[in-house]
Formats: sequence, structure tokens, C-alpha cells
Amino acid sequence: METFVIGLSIASILFMVALGLAIIYGTMKVINLAHGEMVMIGAYVTVLATKHLGFSLYWCLPLAFLITAAFGLVIERTVVRRLYGRLLDTLLATWGIALILQQLIRIHFGLALFGIQIEGLGSDLQNVPVPIELQQSFRFLGANIPAYRAFVFTIAVLLGAVTWWLVYRTRFGNQLRAVSVARNMAAACGINDQRVNALAFAYGSGLAGAAGVLVSGFKTVSPDMGTPYVVDAFLVVVAGGVGNLIGTFVSAGILGEVQSFVATWLNDVYGRTVLFAVVILILLFRPQGLFVIKSR
Amino acid sequence: MLKLRKLNAYYGTSHIIHDLDLDVRKGEIFCILGRNGVGKTTLLRSLLGIDTRTRGSIELDGVDISEAPTYKRAQFGIGYVPQGREIVPGLNVLENILLGCNARSDGRRDVPPLVWTLFPFLKEHLTRRGTNLSGGQQQQLAIARALATDPRVLVLDEPTEGIQPNVVADIEKAIVSLNRDHGLTVILVEQKIRFARTAAQRFVILEKGRVAAAGAAAELSNELVRKHMSL
Repeated sequence: METFVIGLSIASILFMVALGLAIIYGTMKVINLAHGEMVMIGAYVTVLATKHLGFSLYWCLPLAFLITAAFGLVIERTVVRRLYGRLLDTLLATWGIALILQQLIRIHFGLALFGIQIEGLGSDLQNVPVPIELQQSFRFLGANIPAYRAFVFTIAVLLGAVTWWLVYRTRFGNQLRAVSVARNMAAACGINDQRVNALAFAYGSGLAGAAGVLVSGFKTVSPDMGTPYVVDAFLVVVAGGVGNLIGTFVSAGILGEVQSFVATWLNDVYGRTVLFAVVILILLFRPQGLFVIKSR
Repeated sequence: MLKLRKLNAYYGTSHIIHDLDLDVRKGEIFCILGRNGVGKTTLLRSLLGIDTRTRGSIELDGVDISEAPTYKRAQFGIGYVPQGREIVPGLNVLENILLGCNARSDGRRDVPPLVWTLFPFLKEHLTRRGTNLSGGQQQQLAIARALATDPRVLVLDEPTEGIQPNVVADIEKAIVSLNRDHGLTVILVEQKIRFARTAAQRFVILEKGRVAAAGAAAELSNELVRKHMSL
């Protein structure tokens, strides 16, 4: 049971990161390799806001969402926008952005050159204070459930629900869906597809940023912490079927649990190995992913 | 109303439309004819600014729109019914129609009553997936969607191509009615000479991206058709 809940929380993080990646890929067919860095920035926002502004972890969630969304907006406006339809170029460019962002944290946004150090930045590992009530655990069905893991799961479900509502129940969602499957026709219907792109990129980045806040509560924060997340999230998206909310949800669940259970029985390395094996198996038998919309 | 001057259009590096001058008058059906591959669809797509690069001017009611992005052109009053209909998968019939409302300047988000008059059957299928309709029904849905943009000019790309004969008559009737009864200006790319003759006031025949012949519908002689359109 404990293992299951830990798996659930891993899955929750995966889901939030993958959801952002999937929205960005689904809308503009861009694989954002800087997506993991949005997780990292979300985590650093938490470090800085708790250290310098006295924010609690809760308030860091909306704050990190907004800040990483702003980062996403700027990345889309300045770089990605110029590279639409050029998959390889966007891969390289976003990877470059990822490296730049990591180094910016290491050099204190360049302030280190002037001898100014901001506490919480730099190459060192950082930790984030978790609110006392989330450090407890409670008993559920005869098992000890760490409150923080349950919190992570709740937030992920909440953000998943908000995203579903946004995509399927709002006017913006209608525009988003139209742009992602029939960009030219959507534009010919008067939809500002550039604006939809920018907002989708910002929203996807914001989700990763919020995930970063949650990650910072149980992992040490460092400039290169984001890289594994983009890999894992990408696996989730591919295994779940591209452009499918439910697919992303289920495949994040499966992969998170697989990793958690195997890691508990054997160790973390085996956890990762089996995770990759499962993805390979899924793709062998269902190359389109677990869930696919037949788009005809 | 629509004035093209020295229009050149390119797909990637291939030059499709060469120095084209064209005038469409308000309230007419203007028919663009020609064999396959002479640039008819490209011409329409460059009116919308879809996937093409252009040089030259495209003036709609005195405003040059040749540099505007596609969505602005739609908002400015070009309603587009593309080849192959391009009904958006995943959206139902109503949502597909309402997609057009994004181009409206008055902010209204409802189906124009005209749509129900022309295509009453759509009302019974509002919650069905748009892509589950038959080809002919999808074509009518695509026209409905373009009408929802409240267009000044309706641009149709071979609206009856590959559609069952009984629906073809309905669609042709609807296009003529839009023009005659509702005063809508229509630009029509067409392969069917019979329909071009009965519906259009004026025509142009393209060949290799240039105007090969043009005139009033009455001047669309068998000889012209033989010369520029027969295989």
C-alpha cells in the first residue's frame, strides 16, 4: 500500500510534466526539450520564495505556475515561433535553452560576475521546508500514508481536472483543439493561431513549473534536476498516445507504479530499467500508444 | 470588391501563380476554371494566406490584405470552404459551425438563421461528430461554417467534387441562392462547365498560373472549354 501511494505520487509528477509536454506537442508539434527546466525553475521559485519571501509551499504553486508560464511565453515568442514546422531545429533550440537556463541558475543570473551571490541559487543542492502538516502521515486502509504524497496526488488530479475543463469546456479549448488538428482551417475561421500557440506553450510550461514545486518537497533541488523529467514525461506521452489527455493520465499511472514497485522490491536502477522495458513493450505492441483518437 | 494586382504565389520554391490581375465585383459569382494543377487552389489559398508566399497586392474593399495573417483575413470577411472540406475531427457539428464565429466582428456566437434555411438537416445532427457525416453533408457543414464567419465574400474550392449526385444539386442550389437571394459575393473554383455557365456571371480560365481567358459567363464558349480545359 505504501509503495502504491509512493508510485501514485511519482505518477502524479510524471502526469503534470507530461501533460504540459503533450499540450505543447499536440498544439504546435514542437518537442520542448527545455520542458524539464520548467520543472527546475518551478523548484527554484520554491527555494527562493520560501527563503526570501517567507512563502509557504502552498503559495509557491500559483507563483511558480505564473513564473514558468511567463518563461514559456518568452521562449515561444522569441525562439520557438520562428522555427515552426522544423522539428529538428526546435529540438536543438529548446535543448540550447535548457542548457542556458541551467547555467543561469549556476551563475546567479550573471550576478556572480559582479560578486553578488543570491542565497538559494548557484550549483549547490537546495532543500525546501515542507509545511509541518504535510510532514505527518495518516493511516488509511491499515497503511501509513505520508501526507505529502497524498497532497501531490491531490494537486495533480486537480490540475488534470482543470486542464480537462479548459480543453473540453471552454472557448479557448475549442480553439486549441481546432488549431492542434487543423491549424489552417482554424485560422481560416478567424482563430488567432499564434496566440493559441503562445498560450498553450505558457500553460504547458506552467504545469511543469507547478510540478517543480511539488518535486522540491521530496527531492533536493539542483540546476540539472530537470533533465530526467523531460525524458520520463516524453516516455509517458509516447506510451499514452500523443494528443490524448486520458492516455497521458493512464500511462503516467502505469509507469509511476511500475517504477515504484520495482524500486521497492529491488532498487532504483532496476526501477528505471523495468520502466524503459515496459515502454518498449507498449510501443512494440501498440506503436501508436495505448489510447489513440482516430482522427477521421 | 476584390482586386488582385500582379499577384505571384509560391509553394516553397515553386512559383505557381504569375503576375495575376483579377477583379471580382460585388454581388457576383465569379468562377475560376482550368485543368488540374494550373494553380486554382493555390490562388484561393493565397487569398487566405495559407501555406503560400505571395508578392503583389490583394485588395478587399480597398484594403490591402496581402500581408495580413490568415485569421485577420477571415475576420476581415473572407469565408473559406476548402477542397476536401476539412471538417475538424473531435468537434461535433454544432462546434464545427460555431468555429466560424471566431471570425465575427460583432462578437456573436450563434448559428446564422440562414444556415438552417439552406441546410435544415444539420439541425438534426448537431451533437454528432462532424467527421461522421457523409461527404455531401460534410460539404454543407463546411459551407455553414464559412457562413458563420459572416463573410463579405465566400470562397469555395470545388464544392461538389466527389459528392453523391443528389446532394450536388442541393449544394449548387444553395450557392446560387446565397448569391441571388442574399446578395453574397462568391468566388468559385469549379471543374463542372455546366454549373459555371448557369451560376456564374463572370469567369476566368487559368493556365500555368496565368490568365488564359476571361469574360462574362455567356462568353464561355465550347471552343474555349476545348482549348483550355479538355484533356
